[in-house]
Amino acid sequence: MMSTQFHCDDTATLVAFVYDDIEPLEKAAVSRHLVECARCRDEVAALGGVREALGAWSPPVPELRFTVVPESAVSNVVRPNVPAWQTVPRWAQLVAATLALAVGASVANVQVRHDAAGWTLTTGWMTPAAPAQAVAAPAGADAQQFQMALTALEESLRREIAARPVSAPATAPAASNVHADADTLARVRALIEASEKRQQQELALRLTQFGRDFDLQRRADLVRVEQGLGQLEGRTGAEVARQREAINYLIRAGLRPQQ
Amino acid sequence: MQALTITDEELVARSMDGDADSFNQLIKRWERPIYALAYRTLGREDDARDVCQETFLRAYRAINGFRGQAKFSSWLYRIALNLCRDWMRRQRRTPTVQAPEDVDIADLAAEHGPSESIETLVGRRQLGRAVAAAMAKLPEEQRTAIVLKEYHGLTFQEIAEMQGVPLSTVKTRLYQGLSVVRRQLEKGGMSAADIRGDA
Repeated sequence: MMSTQFHCDDTATLVAFVYDDIEPLEKAAVSRHLVECARCRDEVAALGGVREALGAWSPPVPELRFTVVPESAVSNVVRPNVPAWQTVPRWAQLVAATLALAVGASVANVQVRHDAAGWTLTTGWMTPAAPAQAVAAPAGADAQQFQMALTALEESLRREIAARPVSAPATAPAASNVHADADTLARVRALIEASEKRQQQELALRLTQFGRDFDLQRRADLVRVEQGLGQLEGRTGAEVARQREAINYLIRAGLRPQQ
Repeated sequence: MQALTITDEELVARSMDGDADSFNQLIKRWERPIYALAYRTLGREDDARDVCQETFLRAYRAINGFRGQAKFSSWLYRIALNLCRDWMRRQRRTPTVQAPEDVDIADLAAEHGPSESIETLVGRRQLGRAVAAAMAKLPEEQRTAIVLKEYHGLTFQEIAEMQGVPLSTVKTRLYQGLSVVRRQLEKGGMSAADIRGDA
């Protein structure tokens, strides 16, 4: 819709005139109007000034150089850096976690017991003191009853053992059991001795390393102290020389004959 | 020399046939305008670079869907503006439009030649910053209209099609945007006349 008349409030046409993106007839109408209307002339001049100011805003000029490379032309596709553990299937991660837990528990000697005293959880290789306390726990009448029950149990056990027939075949496994126990004991002792030896060797190694490090550090400190002292001596020597020179000058000046 | 005579449409047609080199020529031709558009819309160099790269990547992937109803450049501008809009929505912030802080006089002189004095160059740089700050205050549609018209020379009709609004709306947005920038510059005591030394 072209118009041959222009009105002051037609800002859309005015901006089209400023950008010279306007139909010829409209342009002619605006031009005619501007001759008569000072307010619109000022408006056009102001918009032109803004356009000029906009020209001062230039973006930085970076090195872009984008290129596309078809996938078929890429022989080695660079894949994102993914941690190795993320490539392992979830079930394998679960198994590994369970194994790690089991090994950890065995190393820490985790023991879970359930007895008259309730649930007990112990860790480490120390002998637990709990059983002794458990025995000592009953007191007064309870303790007496417990003692009587224990005595009755002991007697019944003795009777049972005495009543068992002693025969040759029965002794053979017992003897072999004793032999096996002795073997196990010997192996355990050997293992403990080996472990102690290893620990001693490691301790000796650590001590040697510590001694070496300490010695190196001491030597470095000594060198630094010597350097510091040397600098101090140098400064002190220079100061003494200056003072001596000043004294000599004063003496010479004092000995100079008065004129 | 032959590359200069090849039109965008021809390069697009070759790209559709799988010629990556032709598409790379289109990139070379349009990467600076697209970067400038993104920079003036977002105000950050790194983000503008990312948007520019993503624009060409999307264009390359969708090149077979380009029907040639609009100019290739208009199509690229549309992709870039959509990406800018997404970026602003994601970031939930308005553009900062920061001009570089450091003014290297030697660089300025090298850019503009010996005809301008150092005072003029520094003044121009200050005015550029003031313009950037004023543009950052505009609503997105007004800023986009000004950027497309002022810096990329699109017609009102092209902007209207790109923004999906009537022609008169584009002109009104442009007028309103320019008026705001003018007021902001006046508030900061900046004008192009001051830089020229007319005042």
